[in-house]
Amino acid sequence: MSANPARLDAEIAVLKQRLEEAEDMRRAITSGEVDAFVIGDGESSRKVLLLAGAYQRYRQVVERMQQGAVTVSVSGDVLFANQRFSDMLGVPISKLFAAPLEAYVTAPDRARLASFLLVAARNSAVEVHFARHDGASLLARVALAAFADGYLTLLITDLGPLHRLNDAGDALNVIHDALGALAQTQGLDATARKSVDAIGAQAKRLAVLLDAVLEATPAAAVAAQPMSESPPTLSR
Amino acid sequence: MNDSNEKWELRLYTAGQTPKSVAALANLKRVCEEHLAGHYSIEVIDLMKNPRLAKEDEIIAIPTLVRKIPAPLRKIIGDLSNTERALVGLQLRPRS
Repeated sequence: MSANPARLDAEIAVLKQRLEEAEDMRRAITSGEVDAFVIGDGESSRKVLLLAGAYQRYRQVVERMQQGAVTVSVSGDVLFANQRFSDMLGVPISKLFAAPLEAYVTAPDRARLASFLLVAARNSAVEVHFARHDGASLLARVALAAFADGYLTLLITDLGPLHRLNDAGDALNVIHDALGALAQTQGLDATARKSVDAIGAQAKRLAVLLDAVLEATPAAAVAAQPMSESPPTLSR
Repeated sequence: MNDSNEKWELRLYTAGQTPKSVAALANLKRVCEEHLAGHYSIEVIDLMKNPRLAKEDEIIAIPTLVRKIPAPLRKIIGDLSNTERALVGLQLRPRS
C-alpha cells in the first residue's frame, strides 16, 4: 500500500500543530498562566474547574449582586462586568469589552470619570451619567471598591430609583400643603371636609410607606455614604 | 506592525473574572493596540456562563486566545503576559 504524499504532508502538518499546542499548554500550566480548565467530555457534563475553589463563591456573589460591578485597567479598558451593569446599560456583556468605560458615559461627564479613575482611592466615589444603549441617560454613583495589580474594581449604583422616590416625596409634600390650605377654607360642607380628611390620612400613610421603601433602597444607603472625589491619601 | 488591511478576528476564552482571565484581556488589548490598531476585533467568551462553547475551538485550559482570522486558526494558551511569546503565537513576529 502506497501513501499519498500530499495527504501525508497534511497529516504531518495537523500533528505538528497539535504538538505545538500541547507544548504551549504544558508551558502555560507550568509557568502558572492558566487558572481554570474545561472538564467533562459530553455536552451536558462539560464545566469549568477553577483552580481556586473559594474564588468561585466570591465570583457568584459578584455575578448576582444587585449593584453593577466592573473591573477596568488604569487606562479605563473594561476587563470584567457583571450582569447587573450590562442590564443597566442595555449592552450585552460580551460587547462591553469592546470599548473603554468612558465610552459608556455621556460626553460632559467623561473628563470627570477619567480624572476619578486616575486618583481614586478606596471608598471614594463620583456621580456620572451613563449613556444607555437605547439613548436614555442613567445617573449612577461610581465607587472604587478595590485596586490591585493595576486593575480597579468599581461598584456602580443606579441612582434613578432614589431620585424617583425623592420626586414622589416632593409630590406628597405638595399634596400635604394643598390639603392644609383647603382645610382652612371657609364654607366647606361636611362631605368636602370629610374628603379632605380622608385624602390627608392616605397622604400620611403614603409618606410612611415611602420612607420604608427609601430605607430599603440600596441606592439610598450608598448615597448616604460620604463622597470624596479627591481624597487626601492615594491607594497607589 | 501588521501591514495588511485585513481585520483580525480574535476570540478570548475566559472564566469570568479570574486573575488570569482579566490579565489576558488586558494584555491582549495592549498588544492589539500596539500592533493591530484599528484592524482587530475581540470577542470575549465567558466559559463560566456557557461551558458548552468550549467545544467549538476545543478549549481545555483558560484563558486561551484563538486567532480566527487571518487563517490559519492559531491558539495561544495563557494570560499573554509574555509579550514576545504572544506576538510569535499570533504570527506578528517570526519565531526566533
